Amino acid sequence: MVGALAPSEATGSLPLLWLVPSLPLAGAAVNLFVGRRLGKAAGWLATALVAASFAVAVVVVLDLLAIGTEERLYVQHLFDWITVGAFEVGADLRLDALSSTMILVVTGVGSLIHLYSIGYMAHDARSARFFAYLNLFVFFMLVLVLGANYLVLYLGWEGVGLCSYLLIGFWYEKTENANAAKKAFVTTRIGDTAMMVGLAFIVWKFGTLDFEAVFGSAGAQLTEAAATGIALLLLGGAIGKSAQIPLQVWLPDAMAGPTPVSALIHAATMVTAGVYLVVRSAPLFELSDIALPIVLVIGLVTMLVAGTAALGQTDIKRVLAYSTVSQLGYMFLAAGMRAYAAAMFMLVAHAFYKALMFLGSGSVIHGMHDEQDMRRMGGLLRRMPVTGWTFIVGAIALAGVPPLAGFFAKDQLLEIANHTGRPVVWILGTIGALLSALYIGRLVFLTFFGSARTEQAEHAHESPSVMTVPLVILAIGAIGAGFVLNSTAEGRIAHYLEPVVGEVPHGDGLPVWVLGTIGSTVAIVGLVLAWLVYASGKVDRAAFEERLEPLPRTLRNGWYWDDAYAKLLVVPGKAAARVTAFVVDAKWVDGLVNGVGRGVGGLAQVGRLLQTGFVRSYALVFLVGAVALLAWIGVRL
Amino acid sequence: MRTPIAYFVMLSGVLFALGTVGVLIRRNALLIFMSVELQLNAVNLSLIAFSRMHNELDGQILAFFSMVVAAAEVVVGLAIIVAIYRRRQSVNVDDARELRW
Amino acid sequence: MPLDNLVFWVFAPISVASAIGMIVMRNAVHAALFLVVNFFCIAVMYLLLDAPFLFAVQIIVYAGAIMVLVLFVIMLLGVARGDDLRERLIAQRPLAVLLALAFVAEIFVAVRAGIGFSTKAPDGFDAVNEGGNTQALGEVLFRDYFLPFEITSILLIIAAIAATVLAQRRARPITQAEIEQRRSPSTDRGAAVDEQIEVREVPR
Repeated sequence: MVGALAPSEATGSLPLLWLVPSLPLAGAAVNLFVGRRLGKAAGWLATALVAASFAVAVVVVLDLLAIGTEERLYVQHLFDWITVGAFEVGADLRLDALSSTMILVVTGVGSLIHLYSIGYMAHDARSARFFAYLNLFVFFMLVLVLGANYLVLYLGWEGVGLCSYLLIGFWYEKTENANAAKKAFVTTRIGDTAMMVGLAFIVWKFGTLDFEAVFGSAGAQLTEAAATGIALLLLGGAIGKSAQIPLQVWLPDAMAGPTPVSALIHAATMVTAGVYLVVRSAPLFELSDIALPIVLVIGLVTMLVAGTAALGQTDIKRVLAYSTVSQLGYMFLAAGMRAYAAAMFMLVAHAFYKALMFLGSGSVIHGMHDEQDMRRMGGLLRRMPVTGWTFIVGAIALAGVPPLAGFFAKDQLLEIANHTGRPVVWILGTIGALLSALYIGRLVFLTFFGSARTEQAEHAHESPSVMTVPLVILAIGAIGAGFVLNSTAEGRIAHYLEPVVGEVPHGDGLPVWVLGTIGSTVAIVGLVLAWLVYASGKVDRAAFEERLEPLPRTLRNGWYWDDAYAKLLVVPGKAAARVTAFVVDAKWVDGLVNGVGRGVGGLAQVGRLLQTGFVRSYALVFLVGAVALLAWIGVRL
Repeated sequence: MRTPIAYFVMLSGVLFALGTVGVLIRRNALLIFMSVELQLNAVNLSLIAFSRMHNELDGQILAFFSMVVAAAEVVVGLAIIVAIYRRRQSVNVDDARELRW
Repeated sequence: MPLDNLVFWVFAPISVASAIGMIVMRNAVHAALFLVVNFFCIAVMYLLLDAPFLFAVQIIVYAGAIMVLVLFVIMLLGVARGDDLRERLIAQRPLAVLLALAFVAEIFVAVRAGIGFSTKAPDGFDAVNEGGNTQALGEVLFRDYFLPFEITSILLIIAAIAATVLAQRRARPITQAEIEQRRSPSTDRGAAVDEQIEVREVPR
């Protein structure tokens, strides 16, 4: 499908590819070791390095674009990592259409979030450590997407999991933050283990982990069953990392981390790693009959469950968290329909508007003096205009109102669903769009409109420009991404990604303009409904929600998934641990060990009776021995 | 000499056995000592008998050395017994029972 | 019957009898004297075996020196009375006799399998004893066994020194406490010691 250029033939600045992950790594190292002494400069250094990485990425991608579409691939071999017999893994970076998209998103959005964090973490004593972790995260994420083989990808995969843990639990003084970090790590671990088994499976079948080698010979080497096995195992990892059903429980709790963390890791980048993995491994998934349908179903279910749950949240960040889960469900849905380009475009668009809204919510929380409950906000638009208006831009993008990026993303997706003969998906996808409009409208109207419901809301103030500038830039991205990248299903980005992900599926169905109209109408209807209930004053909000009980409470508790896991897994787990500790270990193992000791002691108690103290007894024993020995010799004579 | 050498060796064996019985039965340290001397003598006899049998003097030399060493041993042993008697006012070996369970 | 046979068959029973006497006698002095008789008999055996030098040495060293020394110590310590009749260790006497008999039996078996009961002493010992037993012994001793000879002489010196040291009546060095005691016998040493020791509760 594509040919690789040997490094010696690389043109222009492509050999600088290694700088892209290395610059953030250097920042992390500096900040970890001498960050405390740098003070405020730590944040600026970190931001500068990520921005520099973005610059290098732009240069490198431009050079990539200069190459013709059929040969648009560059692999840079850094060093031999593992060489064991016939199994070799190199530390290889791969730049093609897919990874170039990802690195631009990661470094671009990443540098804006770094800039924002300077203001957000200004009063924190350990801000240098924070920036070190943030840089480290960017490094690992870049390693993940730039990896030319599954092992480098997995290295990045684990690394981002580690950084996620470190950053969620950054304010570890509060136990619930530490618990959230642990929960995130353990839940994703389940997926990671499945993925590792998948990698072992790949090594077993292919003898290598290199993408070119695996995807090139996949058809020949794998039976359908093997391909299904590998695909499902990799999918397990993706489900964990992207917080899909059934491993979605960690993402809402991960909001315990600082808001920039939520924006970067849990909206724009880390959680999208699962989507990236599925898209990257598409050749393997397509060899299986059931893998992609399963991806589709999981995406669909997640989208609906998380979308409804978002409707019942009262914490501003938790709404956004469930929204992220739901939007990721959309991306999985697209991948399941083999519309990989649509999934990737949605990823990029989502990165912009979700990061924007998270940063905006951080600004709101900052201005509200660490209040996160939306019921206590209100009327903030007047008091925080920049935050408010950029947030509204993001919200409109999410809802899917044209001509913002979100509309194009959802529209393509629904169009493909409709055209490839999946009416159920189309209808449910449309309902999902309605849900997203509803919950984001609810958020916006509760937070920014109406009158201030508390003292804090009265006295809220706008955030410093170091925090608002990134908001504006992201808002521009949210508006313009659609036009620039992909105004139709076969727009620029689809063409760009085609060499890697294949063609966009076509078909026949309703005309494109009809689908577009339906989509926009749904979005607007959702926003209007939200306005009616939450901002117009025509409906008593509290009474309305009370009449729907127990639905709001169920939704707020995320459809009781956490409680189900607690009953099904945590309680038996604790019981098993208790049995192991107090019965198996304390009684049996300790009993065995102590029993041996007691046995020896018992033997000694009996044995010591030989030591009578009488020399003559000992002499008698000597004689017995001597006589016996002589007898033995005598017998043999 | 017409007596078979084996008779001397048997005599030596009997005397040695008697010495052993003496060591095991008597409780007076000095009497045990004397039983040990009896054993040593029995062995000397055996040595000299075999020396005669092989027509060499090595056995006699060995017996000679054995006597010398036995003399030295008696000196030291009796000194020890005297020292112990001064401490405990007894030469009964059954009384020295401290090193037991 | 040839003379040496006669001599053997007279003195062998005597030596056995005196040995039994030694181990049976209550009185330590009597036992010692029986042992001296035994030594004499063995000396005669040596003579029968063409070892006149050792015959003399046996009498001089063993009967003359060692047994005299032992008798001295018995008298010095006044332990002539010997042990009482009752044996407190279970089965010690029967077992000892039994094992000794087994031992003799084993020697019998070994000798019969080895040299046999009919081997007589070979001729030609006179050639070995050239120039007399003493001269011959001296030559062998100072030629082939010179090193053991020297070491044995060192051993004897050590034994002499050891005996001197062990038998000393040593004065116990006087302790500071005793000096204090003699100076002021009214002082209560115990209280002063108690004040220096502080008893503290160790936290668990």
